[in-house]
Amino acid sequence: MAGTQSPRSDPAAGPAADDDRRAALARFLAEASGAAACEITGLAPLSGGSIQENWGLDANFSGGRLAGEQRLVLRAAAMTGVPSSLDRLQEFAVLQAAFAAGVTVPEPLFASADPAVFGKPFLVMRRAAGSAAGHRITREPALDPGLPRIAERLGQELARIHAIRPPRPDLGFLTPPEKTGPAPQIAGFRAYLDHQPAPRPVLEWGMRWLETHLPAPLPPVLCHHDFRTGNYLLDGPSLTGILDWEFAGWGDPHEDIGWFCSKGWRFARLDREAGGIAERARFYRGYEGQSGTIIDPARVHFWEVLASVRWAVIALQQSERHISGGERSLDLALTGRRAGECELEILMLLDPGGCPANA
Amino acid sequence: MGDLPEAPALLALARDVLVNDLLPLLPAERRLDARLVANCIAIAEREAAADLAADTIFRELEFFYKRERPSPSRFAGASLSRNAGEGPKRSEGGEGAEHSEAGESAPELMYRLARELRIGAFENSPEREARARAILWRLTIARLRLANPRFLAANGFA
Repeated sequence: MAGTQSPRSDPAAGPAADDDRRAALARFLAEASGAAACEITGLAPLSGGSIQENWGLDANFSGGRLAGEQRLVLRAAAMTGVPSSLDRLQEFAVLQAAFAAGVTVPEPLFASADPAVFGKPFLVMRRAAGSAAGHRITREPALDPGLPRIAERLGQELARIHAIRPPRPDLGFLTPPEKTGPAPQIAGFRAYLDHQPAPRPVLEWGMRWLETHLPAPLPPVLCHHDFRTGNYLLDGPSLTGILDWEFAGWGDPHEDIGWFCSKGWRFARLDREAGGIAERARFYRGYEGQSGTIIDPARVHFWEVLASVRWAVIALQQSERHISGGERSLDLALTGRRAGECELEILMLLDPGGCPANA
Repeated sequence: MGDLPEAPALLALARDVLVNDLLPLLPAERRLDARLVANCIAIAEREAAADLAADTIFRELEFFYKRERPSPSRFAGASLSRNAGEGPKRSEGGEGAEHSEAGESAPELMYRLARELRIGAFENSPEREARARAILWRLTIARLRLANPRFLAANGFA
């Protein structure tokens, strides 16, 4: 989730296996799209997405509903799955629901769990143009003037996502809302920390505050659960897609708002509280205008504290993938130290001005 | 004690060579990796020079536990296993009822602090709660001085 990742080759696939895989994939794409044939003209790992494996897939379809040259993305599970994320078929169903609700997402096209096609479950969607790199988006002077408008648009997009509400038989695989609220999340974080080699007193303190300040539940909505800078594509000044739906689930709408605004996702611009791209008010305006509801700042505050705990736990999990998960990566190895940044934010949110003079 | 230059100076030199001599020779797409390597070296440099900060926090933790009197709320430890598994483990047995006169080590004291914060052990004593919070701030700031001093500065902490 943090930063970019170098392209990597699939250790199991030599050149021959690669040819077989392309052929199997081409057959699958032809059949799924109703084409007489499909020729794969490009298949290469894309950077970004340190949890899922994304491949740029260029293909030429002879007939069928995608006739002609197409630029697509194939998304498969990476080496180590992160617990509680959706599998690719489920993510495909969520993408379909979002696409139908008018959310700006790359159009989902196909999904398959047949290991004979790509070796593991995958989904295929259109490839939207643009870049999602948070450091670049928050630093690039040329983008700057358009960012407040993007923030407002993202507020509208999020409101469209949150308009998806249960009951939804097509999303029946999502965990029931009572099992995804803050209390079960805190229990999960604690269980994880109990197996860490070192204690994290600040996280414990933050979680204690959370469990003694639980907000009354709201009717659940579809939450993206990773809606933040770094997970949407900008093509110049245009928003072209909301990405990475693998954590979607039912929840309190303020959860996504708190995550989007949390300090861990502001990249180079900590001062711009809405995702490092704009003032919070601009993002809120888009959300409130589209949803017709008013954002509750106290709830957002709660979820921002939880966001910092969650980010810290994710940071520790990421470094663990390097330490014991067999994924050699400087980026992952360094991510664990970001937990300290989350801990500072927890203190700043819950004890503003409380830092002792001689700290 | 060891050979000279000592580890921090050696690491500083290695980082300087990497950033100033080698990085410009790398193709653009590999420069991010080189910067990550430089960041690793910088962290190791700071950590190699950091025993002092850890000592200060340990002394403060020792002081925090030696001077305390057990308060009734600290016996609420049972709720910990009810809510979330076992709690941060290490020094078995003591759920807050005894002092650290047994000479608990730094990690043991840190586990104890974490465990007691989880159950809100200091919430009935504003004075102890405030002291525990001061330790959390110090711990966090000391940690970030090593891991990411720029983030600390960006948040208004020296």
